[in-house]
Amino acid sequence: MFSHLAVASSLAIGDMLFYAICFIILMWLIKLVAWKPINQMMQDRADKISSDIDSAEKSRDDAAKLAKQRQDALANSRQEASSIVDSAKKQGQQQRDGILAQAQSDAQSLKENAQKDIEQERLDALSSVRNDVADLSIEIASKIIQKELSADDQKALIDSYIEGLGK
Amino acid sequence: MGDPSSVATFQFGGLTFNAANIFSGLIAFVLVFLFVFALSRHITMKPGKGQNVLEWLIDFTNGILKGSIPGNETGAFGLYGFTLFLFLFISNQLGLFLQIAVGGKDFVRSPTSDPIVTMSFSLATLMIAQFAGVMKFGWKKHFSGYLQPFVFWLPISIFEEFTNFLTLGLRIFGVIFSGEMLLKIIGNLAFSHGIATMIVAVPLEMVWQGFSAFLGAIQAYVFVTLSAVYISKKLEIGE
Repeated sequence: MFSHLAVASSLAIGDMLFYAICFIILMWLIKLVAWKPINQMMQDRADKISSDIDSAEKSRDDAAKLAKQRQDALANSRQEASSIVDSAKKQGQQQRDGILAQAQSDAQSLKENAQKDIEQERLDALSSVRNDVADLSIEIASKIIQKELSADDQKALIDSYIEGLGK
Repeated sequence: MGDPSSVATFQFGGLTFNAANIFSGLIAFVLVFLFVFALSRHITMKPGKGQNVLEWLIDFTNGILKGSIPGNETGAFGLYGFTLFLFLFISNQLGLFLQIAVGGKDFVRSPTSDPIVTMSFSLATLMIAQFAGVMKFGWKKHFSGYLQPFVFWLPISIFEEFTNFLTLGLRIFGVIFSGEMLLKIIGNLAFSHGIATMIVAVPLEMVWQGFSAFLGAIQAYVFVTLSAVYISKKLEIGE
């Protein structure tokens, strides 16, 4: 069974050489065809996966940051809106008060002017009436005097005057 | 088989060649190459079926090497382990379904059922181990490893190298050779007394083929594992 091992001394070298050379060629071919590209691809994939994990983490952080920003902006805008409404209300109140005060003062001044005018008018009318009465009475007096101052009348006038003195 | 009279030999360039080894070896080499070639046609980032199988095999052999070789030194031996495993595996299975004998002489069988072939590979492994040791530590430190526990250990260290070489080669040879031998004996039994023995022999043959296929896979695994162990031993001296 093992007898050819004795012969192997003459067999061995050729077969060993053949196998060694064939094995080296096979290794080279496998390296060329499969080993190198597949290892390269596995390396690439490992790199891609790790970079994907990194970028996923980064985008998650970005999303969280963005959400927080939006939340802040929302809260901010709510506050702003309420402050705008408040200030508008306040301004409206102020304006109303201002307009009211203005109107009141205007009405007051108008009333005062009107009263002043009326007074002036009355005074004017009164003075003109007084002048007219004076003129009229003078005219009447002169007419009466001019007409005839009779002796009787004179006498009566004097009497009444004297009576007046006696009292 | 194994009997010198059953093997055709021829001379070439002053060397003697064994026809059975040459033919079956060539078939195994071509099968391995075709297998790898067919599976590696469309290498993409998202692996297809073939690429998945190949990547799994590469991971598997790399895993064997990483089991014993420390750190990131496996890279240099990955290709050797991968090719060795595939070749031994296919060689072990080859004889189970393909045995051609012409005129009482074997031409195709498992290449690993010949001790010369298996010992070629064990020699290659031990040479790689020595080479790796010298490359890593330099001549002086590498060979001082033989005096490791104490100086008088030297003969035992040298003897250990020799037994490593023999056991590594003969283990796989023994298992494959005996498996094929039994297959042949069962085959002879099947044709010895007509239909009656055939009915008995067919299930026996099937069972033994299944067991041999299992053993062939185990032996390829063991060979690569032990290769890694021997290489790692040379990379770890004096550390």
